[in-house]
Amino acid sequence: MLKVFKYTLIDLARNRFVLGYALLMLLVAQGLFALEGDPTKALLSLVQVVMALVPLIALVFTVVYMYDTLEFTQLLAVQPMRRSAILGGQLLALAAALLLAQAIGLGLPLLVHSPTVAALVLSLSGSALVLVFAALGALIALKQREKARGVGVALAIWFLFVLVYDALLMWGMFTLSDYPIEPFVVPLAGINPIDLARIMVMLQVDLAAMMGYSGAIYKNFFGSVGGTIVAALILSLWVAVPVLFAFRVFRRKDL
Amino acid sequence: MAEARITFQDVGKRYGSLWALRHVDCAFHAGEVVMLIGPNASGKTTLIKSLLGLVSPTEGRITVNGEVIGSDPAYRKAIGYMPQISQFPATLTIGQLLEMMADIRELRADEVEDSLVEELGLSAQLDKRLSTLSGGTKQKVSAVLALRSRPGILVMDEPTAGLDPLSSQRVLQRAAAVRDAGGTVLITSHLMEEVESLADRVAYLEDGNLKFLLPVQEILSSTGSTRLSEALPRMLESNALSHVL
Amino acid sequence: MTRALQLLILIHFTGVAQARTWTHKGGSGGTLREGIERASPGDTILVSGTVSEGTIRVDKTIVLLGKVDAVIDGGGMGDVLYITGDHVVVRNFTILGSRHSNLDDQAGIKVNECRGVVIADNVLDKCFFAIYLSGAKDALVEGNTVLGKPGEEDHMANGIHLWKCNNATIRNNRVEYHRDGIYFEFVTDSHITGNTTKHNLRYGLHFMFSHRDAYEDNHFEDNGAGVAVMFSRDIAMRRNRFLANRGASAYGLLLKEINDGEIIGNTFQDNTTGIMIDGCNRINVHDNVFRLNGWALRLFANAIDCDFRGNTFAGNTFDVSTNGSLIPNTMNGNYWDRYAGYDLDRDGYGDVPHRPLGFFTLLVEMQPYAMVFSRSLFVSLLDRAERLIPSLTPESMKDDKPLMRPPVRGGRSSAKLNERPFPYSTLGIFHALFFIPAGPWQDEKCRMMNEKWRKPERSMAMVNTCIFPFPNLPHTHG
Repeated sequence: MLKVFKYTLIDLARNRFVLGYALLMLLVAQGLFALEGDPTKALLSLVQVVMALVPLIALVFTVVYMYDTLEFTQLLAVQPMRRSAILGGQLLALAAALLLAQAIGLGLPLLVHSPTVAALVLSLSGSALVLVFAALGALIALKQREKARGVGVALAIWFLFVLVYDALLMWGMFTLSDYPIEPFVVPLAGINPIDLARIMVMLQVDLAAMMGYSGAIYKNFFGSVGGTIVAALILSLWVAVPVLFAFRVFRRKDL
Repeated sequence: MAEARITFQDVGKRYGSLWALRHVDCAFHAGEVVMLIGPNASGKTTLIKSLLGLVSPTEGRITVNGEVIGSDPAYRKAIGYMPQISQFPATLTIGQLLEMMADIRELRADEVEDSLVEELGLSAQLDKRLSTLSGGTKQKVSAVLALRSRPGILVMDEPTAGLDPLSSQRVLQRAAAVRDAGGTVLITSHLMEEVESLADRVAYLEDGNLKFLLPVQEILSSTGSTRLSEALPRMLESNALSHVL
Repeated sequence: MTRALQLLILIHFTGVAQARTWTHKGGSGGTLREGIERASPGDTILVSGTVSEGTIRVDKTIVLLGKVDAVIDGGGMGDVLYITGDHVVVRNFTILGSRHSNLDDQAGIKVNECRGVVIADNVLDKCFFAIYLSGAKDALVEGNTVLGKPGEEDHMANGIHLWKCNNATIRNNRVEYHRDGIYFEFVTDSHITGNTTKHNLRYGLHFMFSHRDAYEDNHFEDNGAGVAVMFSRDIAMRRNRFLANRGASAYGLLLKEINDGEIIGNTFQDNTTGIMIDGCNRINVHDNVFRLNGWALRLFANAIDCDFRGNTFAGNTFDVSTNGSLIPNTMNGNYWDRYAGYDLDRDGYGDVPHRPLGFFTLLVEMQPYAMVFSRSLFVSLLDRAERLIPSLTPESMKDDKPLMRPPVRGGRSSAKLNERPFPYSTLGIFHALFFIPAGPWQDEKCRMMNEKWRKPERSMAMVNTCIFPFPNLPHTHG
């Protein structure tokens, strides 16, 4: 597995897309901090960028990369090497490359311009989103034989998590506002990894508002140590479950 | 007859509702070259892939050296494989690829057979990026990869497609050398002329079924031909198969 | 002539002779009560050690001066110091042990119906009320450190409490862990300047029925609410800092039934609500900075003729919210960081109006749980759509001349904004290209700001540790 990790990482390091991703994030983050002048304001703008862009890029890149390296995967699969070692090495390398690109593109500007707790939480949440959506991307790529369909499914899933889920949840919230919906609000908001990551960041940047009446239920839950652990656990599940399924699929997959 | 190196026991592979292989029962021995032939989509590649573990059979089992193949990948140590179409990581050079594959297979320097690199004229191109190579050169690289670990089992899927005649011949000579060293060689090819001199036995597949697996001599004598390329069509036209199988 | 001179000398001499200085050491010889009895008006009593004699009454014009170890301990009997004499000075004492009682208002220092009292540089430690002025005129309360005890609201009282006073000055005090830090009821023509109130249970500063007062350059942090101004008129509120007043019903500044006030040059940061305006008339809210608040401004529909201009709204979760649709107030020339318009004629003002009341603000008013969607893509799309085609947000709530850049504090007038601004965008590109860290100097700025905020505390600490400050006795009306 370490060898696959090593060589996949070498390949990814030469991949223009990974480099492009790092540069894009760097440009966006640097640009925001430079243009806004106020680091806090820049951070707030960056939150929206990260919450939408990071899942999209992690998802689509992973799907495309998995398809593009299928031949190499085949070459590896005929070597005296376990399937799980191949996929494990590849996924680890993908995660490492994307996280590294993000650390350069996002983490570095944050560290330089806004070394705050909020920035740290944003950076960590962004990293969690990278892992979650890379895992989902890998599963999609292994389940769908056709690249075009795989990318399509990836885009649909991104759209679902970033927009449709919130729209439906809000619609439900207003439709059922006469009922005691309180017990359902926190878990439903916490299921969607993007929402969850956003809430964790929001608890930092919108702290003042979250201390108010309307934010209190979120603050009380996710703001506590237990809530943070639960959030980290949910995000870990979002990584672990797709990865586990990916291993299951890959073990018996015809290459 | 030598003991069976590879056996297929009632192997079947289904894609959706279509059986790409069905009830394949056969054995391949040490010190022989078996040519797999058959029309397009007859199941040749699927048979090879299931031996390599790229495809997992829907039913039946395959043994290599007496062991049923499963999740343990160790048996593939003995196998050299030259695929039909070779694609490599585009960012690497030929030299880096060879180095990487040796590293992945954990080959020691003294285990590596690199004379083919020279013979196929690749030594001057080691610094070339794989993405810039022609199809033929990629095939050469693929052949080198298959042969350089001195495999006991050599599997070649259309090895001569895209290769110039001289290189084809050299590659096939190497296959013969593997057999002569007591190895088992499986070759699929559309171009029978090229391979017939090499083959000891011929396996014929159609619609996923193994129609026959016969020594070349037997095929020639039963059809009264001197060349396989003549003998096979005759054999398929006549219903001579039934008594053989 | 000679006779007149002789008379003058005589008056002078007798004057000096009369203003004697007594020393009293707590726990030795007589009591402080006897000392006060013995002293004549104008005398000074220098106190050292701990005095525990129950309530000390001061009914004549004397100066009580504490040495560094001077403590007056009321022993939980009632008020610790009870002052009824005019022009009494109480300086440099540690005062503790007032009785905690909900039946009567017991205080560390109580001043009743007198004028010109000075209470300076004392430490009031865990008193019920700390400094309580009732019917006092021309009083000065300066440089005191007032520390209460965290607890339940029922068992807490106000730090500096003024009732029916006139022309009082409350300056450079620090008040923590009381119910209200500073409380004004029926207090007129008074000034509150340079105080710091923190961690008070209810309000940092609380006005009731008080008129023509001003509070300036104060620091209100982490109180239940920063400042509440209720049922008062002509209150000037300038250059104060309202920080981190957070909680379900916490405000930086709560205005209720206020007429003719002005709120100028203040900073509101990290408050759940920056300013809440309920039933107010003619308030000028100018040149304030609202940063990182939950709701910068909550404007109830019963606020009339309030004028908002030159304010900066940046990084707030919500800039403005309201509960009505008819807004008879004016809102022009503010800077909104959410403003997405353009300035083609380069006059420093956006060419299209800004609607500060976002769609999402309304959603959260209707359904508080919708808060969870803050800063989501869905909400920002909704907000953007609503700004383009307003359908639910009130038409009249808008800033017709939104500033393109935040106004600079410290002299630069809004007229100056007519100049073509420095092309920061160019700088930004360079910045991005060369990756010049912009962080360090911005942090430096923040640090300097923090230093500035801390200053009052530090200087007070120094005052309190001085043994004999002996400054010019501040008999402003002597």
